[in-house]
Amino acid sequence: MTDVTETPAPTRLRRILDSDLFYAFRTSPVALISALVTMFLILSAVFAPLIATTNPFDPASLNLMNGFTPPMEPNAFTGENFLLGTDDQGRDVFSTILYGMRISLFVGVTAVVFAMVLGIVLGLLAGYFGGWTDTIIMRAADVQLTFPSILVAMLIFGIAKGITPIEYRDQMAIWVLILAIGLSDWVQFARVVRGATMVEKGKDYVAAAHLIGRPSFAIMIRHILPNVLSPVLVIATISLALAIIAEATLSFLGIGAPPTQPSLGTLIRIGQQFLFSGEWWILFFPACTLLALALSVNLLGDWLRDALNPRLK
Amino acid sequence: MHTYLCSAALVAVLAAPAFAADFKFAVTTDPQTMDPHAVNSAPVLGFLNNVYEGLVRRGKDMSIEPSLAASWEPIGNGEGWRFNLRRGVTFHDGAEFNADDVIFSYERASHEAADVRSWFAPVSSVVKVDDFTVDIMTSAPNPIFPDSIANWMMMDSGWAEANGAARPDKESGNYATLNANGTGTFRITAREPDLRTVLEPFGGWWDTAEHNITRAELTPIQNSATAMSALISGDVDFINPVPIQDITRLQQNPDVNVIQGVEARVIMLGFDQQAGAAESGQGASDLFLDARAREAVAKAVNVPAILQTIMRGNAAVASQLVSPAMRGFSEAVTPYAHDPEGARALIEEAGIAGSTVNFKCPNNRYLNDESVCQAVTSMLAQVGLEPVLNAMPVQNYWPELRADNFDMYLLGWSPGTLDAEHPIRFLGSTPNGEKKLGSWNFGGYSNARVDELLPRIQSEIDDGKRQKMLDEVATIISDEVAYVPMYVQPLVWGARSNIALTQRPDNFFILRWVTVN
Repeated sequence: MTDVTETPAPTRLRRILDSDLFYAFRTSPVALISALVTMFLILSAVFAPLIATTNPFDPASLNLMNGFTPPMEPNAFTGENFLLGTDDQGRDVFSTILYGMRISLFVGVTAVVFAMVLGIVLGLLAGYFGGWTDTIIMRAADVQLTFPSILVAMLIFGIAKGITPIEYRDQMAIWVLILAIGLSDWVQFARVVRGATMVEKGKDYVAAAHLIGRPSFAIMIRHILPNVLSPVLVIATISLALAIIAEATLSFLGIGAPPTQPSLGTLIRIGQQFLFSGEWWILFFPACTLLALALSVNLLGDWLRDALNPRLK
Repeated sequence: MHTYLCSAALVAVLAAPAFAADFKFAVTTDPQTMDPHAVNSAPVLGFLNNVYEGLVRRGKDMSIEPSLAASWEPIGNGEGWRFNLRRGVTFHDGAEFNADDVIFSYERASHEAADVRSWFAPVSSVVKVDDFTVDIMTSAPNPIFPDSIANWMMMDSGWAEANGAARPDKESGNYATLNANGTGTFRITAREPDLRTVLEPFGGWWDTAEHNITRAELTPIQNSATAMSALISGDVDFINPVPIQDITRLQQNPDVNVIQGVEARVIMLGFDQQAGAAESGQGASDLFLDARAREAVAKAVNVPAILQTIMRGNAAVASQLVSPAMRGFSEAVTPYAHDPEGARALIEEAGIAGSTVNFKCPNNRYLNDESVCQAVTSMLAQVGLEPVLNAMPVQNYWPELRADNFDMYLLGWSPGTLDAEHPIRFLGSTPNGEKKLGSWNFGGYSNARVDELLPRIQSEIDDGKRQKMLDEVATIISDEVAYVPMYVQPLVWGARSNIALTQRPDNFFILRWVTVN
C-alpha cells in the first residue's frame, strides 16, 4: 500500500503565482518598478475624467486670461492656481497631460494591435505555405525594412491626408495616425511569426492534424498560432513603447493629433514654442510624462523578453 | 614654406564668404508663387518687389517715387494719368522695357485669372502713346491712382508669351510660377518652393545700388522656435516675424537687433453671408446671414484678453478695417465691446444656440494665427455656439476660402495704398468680376449704399467730403458687422546686429536697403 497524498488541483491564480514567470517578475526590481509606473500611468489616463480638474478638450471651459500661469503660482489676472501651470490657451497642463496620454496610449495600443494582427496573418501565411506566398510577403517586408519606420509612417500619413477631404482631416487624424504607425510596424511581427511557423509546421502534431484532414486554416489558427505567441507578446510590448514614441514624433512634427485634441507629442510641440521665452512648464511636464511612459513600457518589454528566453537562464 | 602658403590660401578661401556679403533670411510663409499677378498677398508681393518693379514704387517712408516711370501727370480734368517711361531699362534676360510691356502687364494683371485685378477697377483703358509714353484712362477722376499701383509689376511680354505664361494661373501654376524675369534689383537664380529661393544682384539694374549683398537666400521656416534658434546661432541673418513671446529674450542678446513697428495690417473675422454657399457639412450653413449671429460673435470675442495673453501686449485693438495710421481712418466707429451675456442673448434670440460653426484659420500666415483662432473658438463655445476649428497652411487656406468652404474665417488686411478706400474695394464691395470689385470679399457681404459710395470716394478730391463718405461706409460696415476687426498686427523683425535695414509698415522686406557690415 502506498500513501497517496491528495494534492488539491491548483487554482488558476495559484498556478500563475507559482509560475517561473511570476517568480522572475517578483525578484526583478526593474520589472516591478516599471510595471508599477506603467499601471499608474495607464490608470490615470483611463480615469482622466475623474482625476483631471478641467476638461481641456471642451473649449467652453477655457479662460484665455489663465494663459501662461506658472505651476503652483496664482494667475496674475484671475488668481487661479494650477498644479502644473497652464499653456497659451489657459488650459491646465495637468489635465491636458492626462487627456493627452489617453490619445497617446489609445493610438499606441490600437496601432500595435493592428500591426500585430496584420503581421501574424501574413507571417502565418508566409511560413505555412512557403513558396511564392512566402517570397512575395517577405520581400515586401524586406523592402519596407530598408526604410526607417517613421518615414514609412510619414509617407502613409501624407497619402492618407491627401485623400481625406479637408473638412474631416482633424476628425480622421487619429485613425490615420493609427493606420500609419500600424502599417509601418507589421514587419517584425511577420518575420518572427514566419520563423516560428516554419519550425512548428515540421513537427509531428501538425502532421497528425494534416492526417486527420484538418483544413490548413484551422491548423494555422488552432494548432500553430498558440505555439508561436510568446515571442509575439514580447515584440508587442516593445512595439507599444515604439508606437507611443512614433505617435509623439509625428505629432511633434505637426502631422499627428490636432492641437484641439492634443496628444503628448502635440503638447510637446506646443510647448516648444515657449521654451525660449521661459515658459518651461508647457514643454517640461508633457515631456517627462512621455519619458516615463515610454521608458517603463520599454523596460517591461525588455524584462519580458529576457524572462521568456530560456537560453538566458 | 610650402605648407605655410597652403594654409594661408586655405584661410583666404575660408574667409572669403565673410567679405562677400552673403545674406540669409527666413520667413514663416514661403511666397506661394513667383508670378506678380497671380496672388495678391503680402508674402508674394513683398518678396517680388525685389525682383520685379512697377511704374512707381514706395520709398523708405512709404512715399511714392518714380520707378519704371520717370514722371507722370494727370490728363485734362481727371480723365486719366500719363506716364513717361524710363529709357534704357532692361529685364533680367536683356530684353528692353517699353510701352508694350506696360500694355501687356495691364492686360495680364487685369485678366480674370489674375488675383490683383481689383487694382484696375477704376481703369477704363490703357493707351500706348509712343514707345515710352502710356496713358492710363480712368472712368472717373482718380486722384490717388498713382498711389494705388506701386505693386503692379511689369513683366516682359516677349518672355511671358515665349514661355506660355501670358496669363497668370493662381491654382495650378505655369512657367511664371517658378521663374521670374523682372527689371528689379535682384534676379532669381534658384527657386525651390518651400525649400529655398536664391537671389543675386542684377548687374544691369537702372538705379544705383545701395545694398552690398552679393547673394541672398530665402528659407521658409514655419516653426517659430526653429527660426529663433537659427537667428541666435547665426544660421540666418534675418527672421520675420520674431515670435511675440521671444521679443524680451531677443532684446537682451547683443548679437541680435529686434526691429519693432506697427504694421498696417488689421486682423479680423469674416463670415459667410451668401445664402446656400456655406458648406459646413453639418447643416449650419446660412447661420451668419442673420446679422444678430455676426453681432453675437463680435460681442463674444474678448479682444483685450487675446492681446494681453497671446500677443503679450504687443498689439492694439482695431475698430475698423484699417489701422489709425492709414489715410481716411474713421473716428466715427469704435471697437465692439466684449459682452458675453449680450452675445448669449442674441444667440438665443436668433435661435442658433448649439449651431456648428465651421471656422477656417491659417496656421502660418499671421502672428500666432492658430493660437488666436483657438482662443476665438473657446470664446464662441462659451456663449453657446459649437465652433469647429480647422487650421491649415496658406497654400490650402486661400483655395478653401475661394471655394466657400467656411462659415467663419480669419483674415488680415493691409491696404497696399495705405488708404481706407482699399479694403472697401476688396472686402466691402459686393463681389463683381466684371467691375473687378470685392475680389477678397470671400463671404459675399453686400450693401447697396457701400457699393454706391465707393466710386464717389475714389473720385472725390475734397478731403472733407471724402472723409464724410468714408465715415459713412465705416459706420455701415460696423453696424452690420460685415467683419469683426480684432487688432492691428505688430511688426517684429529680428536681424543680426551687423545688418542695417529699413522696416516699412507694409511688412515688405526690401533687400535693396540691406547692408551687411
